[in-house]
Amino acid sequence: MTKIGLEIHCQLTKLESKLFCSCKADYRKFEPNTNICPICMGIPGSLPLLNKSAIEKATLIAMALDCSTPNRIAFFRKNYFYPDLPKNFQITQLNAYGNTSIGWEGKISVGNSKIKIRRIQLEEDPGRLIYEGATEKTKLTLVDYNRAGTPLVEIVTEPDFETPHQVREFLNILSDLLENLNVSDPGLEGAMRADANVSIEGGSKVEIKNIGSFHDLEKAVHFEITRQQSLAERKIEIIQETRHWDDGRKITVSARTKEEEAEYRYHLEADIPWVRIDDNTKNQLQVHMPESISSKKERYVSKYGITSQVADILSSDRYFSELFEKANNETNAKDIANMITTDIMGLLDTREKREMSKLEGDHISDLVGYIKSNKITRASAKLALDEVIKNGKQLSEIIEDLDLGHVSDESTLSDIITEVIDEEVKAVEDAKQNPEIVNFLVGKVMQKTHGKADPELTLVLLKKNLGIK
Amino acid sequence: MKNLVTEEEIAHVAKLMKINLEDHSDHVKRVQKMLEYFDILDRANVESEEITVQETDLDKLRDDKHVPYDKNLLKFLNSYQEKYVKAPKLN
Amino acid sequence: MDLGISALNYVNGIKNNEFTVEEFTLKSLERISQVDEKLHAFLRVNDLAIKNAREIDTKIKSNQNVGKCYGMPISIKDNICIEGSKTTCASKVLENFIAPYTSTVISKLNSEDAIIIGKTNLDEFAMGLSTEFSAYGPSRNPWNTDYVPGGSSGGSGVSVSANECIASLGSDTGGSIRNPASFCSVVGLKPTYGLVSRYGLVSYANSIEQIGPMAKTVKDSAFLLNIISGIDSNDNTTVDNKNQDYLTDIDAGINGKKIGIVTEMTNPDGLSTDVLDATNDAIKTFEKLGANCEQVSLEMVRYAVAAYYTITSTEAGSNLARYDNIRYGYEFDSSGFEFNSYISQARSKFGPEVIRRMILGGFVPSAGHAGKYFSKALKVKSKLIAEIKHVFEKFDYLISPTVPIQPFKFGEKINDPVSFMMVDFNTVTANLTGIPAISVPYKITNGLPIGIQIMANHEEEHSLLQAAYALEKTVDLPEVPV
Repeated sequence: MTKIGLEIHCQLTKLESKLFCSCKADYRKFEPNTNICPICMGIPGSLPLLNKSAIEKATLIAMALDCSTPNRIAFFRKNYFYPDLPKNFQITQLNAYGNTSIGWEGKISVGNSKIKIRRIQLEEDPGRLIYEGATEKTKLTLVDYNRAGTPLVEIVTEPDFETPHQVREFLNILSDLLENLNVSDPGLEGAMRADANVSIEGGSKVEIKNIGSFHDLEKAVHFEITRQQSLAERKIEIIQETRHWDDGRKITVSARTKEEEAEYRYHLEADIPWVRIDDNTKNQLQVHMPESISSKKERYVSKYGITSQVADILSSDRYFSELFEKANNETNAKDIANMITTDIMGLLDTREKREMSKLEGDHISDLVGYIKSNKITRASAKLALDEVIKNGKQLSEIIEDLDLGHVSDESTLSDIITEVIDEEVKAVEDAKQNPEIVNFLVGKVMQKTHGKADPELTLVLLKKNLGIK
Repeated sequence: MKNLVTEEEIAHVAKLMKINLEDHSDHVKRVQKMLEYFDILDRANVESEEITVQETDLDKLRDDKHVPYDKNLLKFLNSYQEKYVKAPKLN
Repeated sequence: MDLGISALNYVNGIKNNEFTVEEFTLKSLERISQVDEKLHAFLRVNDLAIKNAREIDTKIKSNQNVGKCYGMPISIKDNICIEGSKTTCASKVLENFIAPYTSTVISKLNSEDAIIIGKTNLDEFAMGLSTEFSAYGPSRNPWNTDYVPGGSSGGSGVSVSANECIASLGSDTGGSIRNPASFCSVVGLKPTYGLVSRYGLVSYANSIEQIGPMAKTVKDSAFLLNIISGIDSNDNTTVDNKNQDYLTDIDAGINGKKIGIVTEMTNPDGLSTDVLDATNDAIKTFEKLGANCEQVSLEMVRYAVAAYYTITSTEAGSNLARYDNIRYGYEFDSSGFEFNSYISQARSKFGPEVIRRMILGGFVPSAGHAGKYFSKALKVKSKLIAEIKHVFEKFDYLISPTVPIQPFKFGEKINDPVSFMMVDFNTVTANLTGIPAISVPYKITNGLPIGIQIMANHEEEHSLLQAAYALEKTVDLPEVPV
């Protein structure tokens, strides 16, 4: 039986500051080495100052993954030399003196399976290396420490996965969960990374590192299973080792050589006292934990009568479920949900668009109301949405500005219908034979009115005019 | 007294600590002497001891605020083209 | 104008217009230029000292608010960061390191208008007990320049003892303030762990070290402790001493107090004859002062030195890992090198003692050895803490001679590692347990100083200083011969 385990690193991008200093947690918009301070640079004499909210957010993750949580947490040093480590040690967590990491022994459902979580720990991200010139001719390593000290949560699973597809599903569920908890924005570049370990029936465990994206992870796992199976078939031993994913050649290659086994000399980080987390704090966190995705979905279905499919889509997206909550007043919930999933999601399909959007809950409820009361057609509504997203004006203003007002005045409509009938002689003839063709004429009226004509009224009037039942 | 440390071990530790050693044998002798002395720890009868640690409460910790460091730290560092920190190439 | 005056008398002198800050500073600088070529207490002298002195004189004349220090010259051990100035830790590896920020203790002194007159010499990275391991040459004991001044805060001890400044800040990891205080005949205090902020102190063994004052009198130590102590948001290991004033009631005396004479630290076999005599004398003095003295055995003290060196070498191995010369350090072009070979080469600039501790510090916590050495040492530490806690239920103070021997000659101890470690025998307990400890100058025998160590329970500095003051009052020592 194939066994796959994962080690996921997730940045707590929703924090304001780094794990041990007040530099910005999200380093992405800074010029190199401008988001640094004596602490994250490990300048002699500097001391780490633990971020309170990091512990709270990490504990939320532990709770959401059904983990046991400790009464005291401790930090340890993992000692090794690398240019992206300013202190040449990483402050991380370990369970050396009882359970002192942020969480352990949890579980999460993936389809019909339960994936067990071995442990969750808080640690700091190192800086980033930039290589000068082509890899073979690299003369220097350039380092940008902006990322050094960014808060990371490491989630280690038991080797409970059996297929690459399951792995992919889990990662999607985990991403949604983390986003829903408001602890991280997994869509940000580099915010979530994962390593995998793979073993097939009775074989050694192989670690795979250096995987760039979740898409690559699925491929890497798939490749590795195939590689191991082919070795087993030829009765060749599968060596326990660490391999790297070579994205260019789409294969895993052996990384670690022989006895260069890392020796980390783990010991307690004495500059950070053990932090007591009492039951009261944990209860407070639990009480204020954002509603889970599954709970939201259930509520949308049972309370608002939204279809399971729509509820699924809506509940697993934090941005849109929040918009939904703001917009709906229970009676219009179904329409709001539909508008969001059908129209709005397509218009705000990227992070940038969402960031720039001026659309608010009120706009959506107004819009849905206008459609219901025939003040505006569905087609015009789309145009209105576009405008609101751009400038956030009141709906009434937009309808005036763009002249989207419903044309439902019978006489105006009749005039336009007369125009169309005059122009579309052939279609009119065809329509008298084949009532379906009337829709073509309705379309023409819509065109002339720039989508503002009430389609139902138009149809009625047309039929009347042409003497069709 | 038996050998508590070998020259291979010293070489291994030197590599671990990233220090070029000139005379391994001198270090072997010294570490051996220290370890012979440290043997005393075995007589301390502390197997069942729990370690003592300093503790604090969650509310005593730093608030999560972004406070940009107000000085140009890069000036104080060995920088490269005033942007990156320069390190030797990696294997 | 007597350069040998205490800090408190200096302040009175300024307030009474007996001399100006500039006059005193000038005279101190003169003194430094006269004696320091021989003594080598200082690595660097502050060339802005006179300017600072003038500014403070102006403040005084124009009746502005002046800080408690009134411009007194204070020296600082060169492992404490001051923004814009070199902080070398007496190592070649940090030859060009200029600190980009200022330590909390220095900020506090600055806001009380102290004048930082210079940075003092130490054993490289504070690893040592004689200043012989400084990469810039040793400091010399002003009582007899053939002898070591103690360490690692040797330069600080010398600068105060030789009246080159009023007081100094040193650091104490295993006795590094108390040992040179004893050897140089000045008062040296290691505060409770966490009482003084370590923000800006270059770490050697961060779980046990503290910055502390080295001064001419016990009252001066209390005066300085008032300024530098207190909770600091830049150091999560600091404790809140609620702005306690260590000078009030410092002369309350020790009548009726219970003093424990630590058997393991006063074993005649472990002390030199002169130190043993001085100790017995001191015990009689304490009894005359009204205290009840009694022998007390601390079983775990026997293992304290072994535990200390195991723990500190492990922490040092980690704390000194950052010195790879990539981000800061000294001139050494990395062009053409590969990463591992460059940093191994750069780091071979560490002095021999530092390298020895790195090797030990890589060995004892490593897989296969950690259980035997490092874990065991931590457990010894815990048991020692429990033992001390228990002992202070009965006693108010514990005493011993600060160092089992008097100052020794240069070169005498550095080749025998075990004999070298034993010099710390009486001082490491206070570091491992976190309790405060002070060395009070007690005797000069054959021209060389002997100090008595008093220890008290956690955060009992107020009481500790009372005992130290009471002892000091009975002592009348000769002036330093330099």
